[in-house]
Amino acid sequence: MATKTDVDEAFDGYVEGSLGAIDPRRAVLGTAGIAGFLALWWAVSLTQPAFVLPSPAAVGETFYAEAASGEMATAIGQSVRHWIPGAAIGTGLGVAAGVGLAWSSLADDVSAPIVRTLRPVPPLALIGFAIAWFGINHAGAAFIIAVGAFWINFYAAYGGVEGVSEDLLDVARSLGVEGDFELLRSVVVPAASPEILTGIRTGIGRCWMLVVASEIFGVPGIGRRILRASNNLQVDVVIAYILVLSLLFLLVDVSFRAVQRRLLAWR
Amino acid sequence: MTAHGTHVRVADIAKHYEGTEGPIRALEDVSFGVSEGEFVCLVGPSGCGKTTLFRIIAGLESATAGDVFLNDERVDSPTPDMGVVFQEYHLFPWRTVRGNVAFGLEKSDVAGEKRGERVDRLIELVGLEGFGDSYPKELSGGMKQRVAIARALAVDPDLLLMDEPFGAVDAQTREMLQTELLDIWRETKKTVLFVTHDVEEAVKLADRIVVMAKEPGRVREVVDVDMSRPRVRSDAEFGRYYERVLGLIRGERAV
Repeated sequence: MATKTDVDEAFDGYVEGSLGAIDPRRAVLGTAGIAGFLALWWAVSLTQPAFVLPSPAAVGETFYAEAASGEMATAIGQSVRHWIPGAAIGTGLGVAAGVGLAWSSLADDVSAPIVRTLRPVPPLALIGFAIAWFGINHAGAAFIIAVGAFWINFYAAYGGVEGVSEDLLDVARSLGVEGDFELLRSVVVPAASPEILTGIRTGIGRCWMLVVASEIFGVPGIGRRILRASNNLQVDVVIAYILVLSLLFLLVDVSFRAVQRRLLAWR
Repeated sequence: MTAHGTHVRVADIAKHYEGTEGPIRALEDVSFGVSEGEFVCLVGPSGCGKTTLFRIIAGLESATAGDVFLNDERVDSPTPDMGVVFQEYHLFPWRTVRGNVAFGLEKSDVAGEKRGERVDRLIELVGLEGFGDSYPKELSGGMKQRVAIARALAVDPDLLLMDEPFGAVDAQTREMLQTELLDIWRETKKTVLFVTHDVEEAVKLADRIVVMAKEPGRVREVVDVDMSRPRVRSDAEFGRYYERVLGLIRGERAV
């Protein structure tokens, strides 16, 4: 069950290392890396006007000001209002469709051409539908986010279910498990859960990226704030909100990782 | 051989495949019976269709011709009336030892508390007290196979059907497991049909040995092992049975 990519591993190491919980050597080196990066940024910013590259200190001030004025909390609250339903619906439907199509060869054969046609469509290309079907509101933005989450979860769940050992199904049948639903519930989904959980985690991260894209057509939130600041050449505001996105991503990812580790203690 | 009242009846089983060079006759005219409470081993050279026959008896695969009966009922799909144990254990890795043993009971009407008691008793029966909350990844091969046996026994099957269950563990563990299986068999009075390629194992365990031949896979002879247990390899009688079964597998005429 090779579900962990190198990137995944490296990222885990990064998260744990940066929290300083695992390896003091890595914590020291990581801190040094951040300090070095800030120093370089600061040095370059001295040679540039603020609308090209503001100094780290200027960004820090803006971050604090946005936080203090409540503007930041408002933006986060708005983005979360489409991030949560978008991620939840896209994940739920993606996992369900992936499990269903991998399990039923009939459903798989019927849907294969449609899946292959829709798969390469980038979520952003669907903005027209988002506006037409839902309007310029949280529902429209959630739609874009859900599409992104859907495919990641669909393929993760599909692959996971395909990899479930036929032998485990034989054992379950010989112990009296009958019918598709019972087999899915008692064997297929638990056996595929490592892949499904990796998909959910990747999808949740992708949803944060799509938050910015989904606000392009006017839905308020962090992305909207970034786009508006870009138009006004307020690079310090742009960077401050990019930081907000990174921190939110980290927070959610570390939390989910903890849940994942608990659920997969048997591995 | 097809007498009425036989616990398990394998009747004229044939299995043919379409191979690249014409049809392959994996099994031809395989018939034998197992009486209630009997311990029967099925031995044969590799390629004689033992595992195919095992899967057909378990209802996991269909035969080209012939039938399998358990208590006079035709078997055409997997049934909890048979406890199946595979060589590779096939435990549910996401369940603890207790969870694996309880798997088959969750579908039954055995109530919660009684179920727990039963699971604990089975874990004790296979000598895994104290490991109830361990996950399969934490167990050795021999322990995993004990869990698989307890899991198969949990649903109180009429027949314990085992396919080379001790083929994947080391020699010492294998001998221990063989002795334990005989104890379990005596204690639970189950009927056992045990597939192996190991002649010594068959002579050690079985009341009767069904010896198979290959190309096509068929029954060469059924040998009654009329010897008291425990059976020791160094006994002259053990040696005679061993040589006889080995000779049959090698294709010599029966003596």
